[in-house]
Amino acid sequence: MSTPKKRNFQIEAFKHRVVVDPKYAEKTWKILEHAIREIYNHNASGLSFEELYRNAYNMVLHKFGDKLYTGLVTTMTMHLKEISKSIEAAQGGLFLEELNRKWEDHNKALQMIRDILMYMDRTFIPSTHKTPVHDLGLHLWRDNIIHSKKIQARLLNTLLELVQRERTGEVINRGLMRNITKMLMDLGSSVYQEDFEKLFLEVSANFYSVESQQFIESCDCGDYLKKAERRLNEEVDRVSHYLDAKSLNKITNVVEKEMIANHMLRLVHMENSGLVKMLVDDKYEDLGRMYTLFRRVPDGLSTIRDVMTSHIRETGKQLVTDPERLKDPVDFVQRLLDEKDKHDKIIGSAFNNDKTFQNGLNSAFEFFINLNPRSPEFISLFVDDKLRKGLKGVSEEDVEVVLDKVMMLFRYLQEKDVFEKYYKQHLAKRLLSGKTVSDDAERSLIVKLKTECGYQFTSKLEGMFTDMKTSHDTMQGFYASQGGETTADTPTLAVQVLTTGSWPTQSSSTCNLPAEIMGVCEKFRAYYLGTHTGRRLSWQTNMGTADLKASFGKAQKHELNVSTYQMCVLMLFNNADRLSYKEIEQATEIPSSDLKRCLQSLACVKGRNVLRKEPMSKDIGENDAFYFNDKFTSKFYKVKIGTVVAQKESEPEKLETRQRVEEDRKPQIEAAIVRIMKSRRVLDHNNIVAEVTKQLQSRFLPNPVVIKKRIESLIEREFLERDKVDRKTYRYLA
Amino acid sequence: MGRRSRKTQPKAPPASSVVVIPDDDSPEDLFNSYANKATRTIEPEGIEKLCSDLGIEHTDVRILILAWKMSAAKMGYFTRAEWQNGFYALRADSMYALSRALTELEKKVRRASKEEFLDFYTYAFNYCLMEDMQKTVETESVCELLGMVLGLQFPVQAGKLVEYLKLQTEYKAINKDQWSGFYRFCTEISYPDMANYEEYSCYYPAVIDDFAEWMKEGKA
Repeated sequence: MSTPKKRNFQIEAFKHRVVVDPKYAEKTWKILEHAIREIYNHNASGLSFEELYRNAYNMVLHKFGDKLYTGLVTTMTMHLKEISKSIEAAQGGLFLEELNRKWEDHNKALQMIRDILMYMDRTFIPSTHKTPVHDLGLHLWRDNIIHSKKIQARLLNTLLELVQRERTGEVINRGLMRNITKMLMDLGSSVYQEDFEKLFLEVSANFYSVESQQFIESCDCGDYLKKAERRLNEEVDRVSHYLDAKSLNKITNVVEKEMIANHMLRLVHMENSGLVKMLVDDKYEDLGRMYTLFRRVPDGLSTIRDVMTSHIRETGKQLVTDPERLKDPVDFVQRLLDEKDKHDKIIGSAFNNDKTFQNGLNSAFEFFINLNPRSPEFISLFVDDKLRKGLKGVSEEDVEVVLDKVMMLFRYLQEKDVFEKYYKQHLAKRLLSGKTVSDDAERSLIVKLKTECGYQFTSKLEGMFTDMKTSHDTMQGFYASQGGETTADTPTLAVQVLTTGSWPTQSSSTCNLPAEIMGVCEKFRAYYLGTHTGRRLSWQTNMGTADLKASFGKAQKHELNVSTYQMCVLMLFNNADRLSYKEIEQATEIPSSDLKRCLQSLACVKGRNVLRKEPMSKDIGENDAFYFNDKFTSKFYKVKIGTVVAQKESEPEKLETRQRVEEDRKPQIEAAIVRIMKSRRVLDHNNIVAEVTKQLQSRFLPNPVVIKKRIESLIEREFLERDKVDRKTYRYLA
Repeated sequence: MGRRSRKTQPKAPPASSVVVIPDDDSPEDLFNSYANKATRTIEPEGIEKLCSDLGIEHTDVRILILAWKMSAAKMGYFTRAEWQNGFYALRADSMYALSRALTELEKKVRRASKEEFLDFYTYAFNYCLMEDMQKTVETESVCELLGMVLGLQFPVQAGKLVEYLKLQTEYKAINKDQWSGFYRFCTEISYPDMANYEEYSCYYPAVIDDFAEWMKEGKA
């Protein structure tokens, strides 16, 4: 829509003649130049900043910006040259102070100048792409002062010398140092790096290279590490006090390389003070220091770990192969545990519980424990000892600790099935002789074995416990059924009925029981078979015990705690005072090796010699004669006559166990082969061996030769066949 | 069943009669002369007679070769069909021809190609399996068999193998896999140094590993 009327307003500019003085620019600049000089001369108080600002403003407005800018550069350069001279003139220690003072002055002046020339800084400089006033001031300072020939080198040397003096223990003016390095940083990071840091690092490298050489010649490993640690801390401290934070990694790298990496191997292997010595002496502090220092350098930790692992391997190997150690299985295992504890503690307190170190420790143990084929037996014997007596009066938690440690050793075993064999034997003996200290501990260990190896591993062991319980009930039932028939005269019988298969198979060697016992045994047999039809009972006389009441010469009464065999022998002396070895053997029919052992414990052990032997000697001969020892005395009413038992297995027993183990392995290996071939159908020999080994290694380490023979047996039974063409490949026949 | 042995060639043709001597050399007649009349099969006694008629021991390899050619299924017994097969295969029509053919054949087997020999070699083992479910042959018999059969082509190795098998106690019987392994051992493994055995061990049954081990120890 158009407006009906058009009114025209015109605003005219106020015509105001500006007379441009031709000398205006020159004059104005003179004023400003004068002001700048006054500022540098600390006479700024008399200046009118408002007027100066207006002058500068006008110059830019009247297109004299360029003149103003070049004027500024020239004037400032001139002033800086003067300053440079006065700094150069400063003597010795005053040099840095002078430099610092002038730098502060320059900064103040620069501030004021920038304020005056604010308009130029805001309009003229951005449009002409020139350097802003403040930066210009820094650049000019850099070019005229720091890079001046007479100052540049001197400044660097002074700084380095101060660092050097501090390194040798002098106290320096850190504040001043900080100001100067701050100045270098303000001038741009390249100035700091080029004019200071680069050389600083070089000089430091030299310094530490020389110093570490001196240290390593004169110090032992522990001292050296202490010194290196101190140096490292000093450098960190230095950076935080007066260097750029970015220098931290660079300088610590220098120290690490010169003081640690370069001497790492020599330090670790230092005789009488190196890593091995530290480990032997449990030097937690030194080891911890080594760990924290070495972890800073490449391969540092692996160096420590390798030396530690091979040291443990070596000492462990010596331990398990020392024939002296084999004499006492309990001590043998205790030493293994001590060794493990020792290194666990070192890794825990000095090596930051490093996983890779723990793995190294584990692999070393696995290595040497299996060097001794008797390790599984000994570990089981150790448990046996603990569960028989060792844990008496020990709190429940401590029992758990011991058992856990045993389980740890168990984990290292390659032949877990051998351990199982022995464990079963030892457990059987414990249960039957009623020697186990704590049922809870027994069960706890079985639970642990179960979690470790699965149900099939422990089912038979659990069966043994069940038998014990059932036997207890059976005995109660037996006596209840006998009613009042049992009088004080007839012997009390306690039978443990053992399920065949659950208990370790013992070459059952029976003997002739005395008539008194035979009677009650028969009664039990009748009772048991009456309640359990279809079962068979056979007496395991080699496993039983008996309590006998005996009277000796001066009306001394004792209760003798003996084995079933010993009881059979002693009962013979109810009717005779003298019996020859042959007579005893004939009457009892005890196997001769057992008989000798049992006679030895009856006649040859001091304080327990209820029999007398002729001739007197330590060993039992086939022509010896035995007498009832009327003069036997003892302080105790109850006398326990132990059998001279071979705690460890004898050589033939060991061979027998070994054979049984090998025999038990065969079906396991065959099952593994069939499992593998069932899924793979076709596989070559080496791969089968590898797979079988892998499948079975949690139980034992199968011998490749045995695997080969099992494969052949399967071929013979037509589970597998050899490939007609590639004879090393087998096919599964289904 | 008393029969008189004879070395001479029969002349007269008469066939069936009370006379026990085969007058005719036709395979049919020869069969009848050795066979048990009741079972109509040549039985061990008949074979023994045959051997003496041929002038060879019953442990002679030629009898085994004859059995092979007849494809005889059961050790010590020849059926009529097997007998006729054998004569046909040997192109023999008389005792004399049979005797000559067997001697020839023995020479041929000594030089036989791998396949042909392997056929005979395999047959020899199977022939020794008497029972249906029998899978192994007693090591003692295997020793005889090795000397007889493997000895044809590899007398040295066969001798050593037998020596080893007699001495060891672990392998009480030998199965087919092991038996065929013996032959392959002779053809594939350089002898007597057995330099390449180690790398081929996975191709062989364990008994040969043990043999190789024994050989190496013996040499050392």
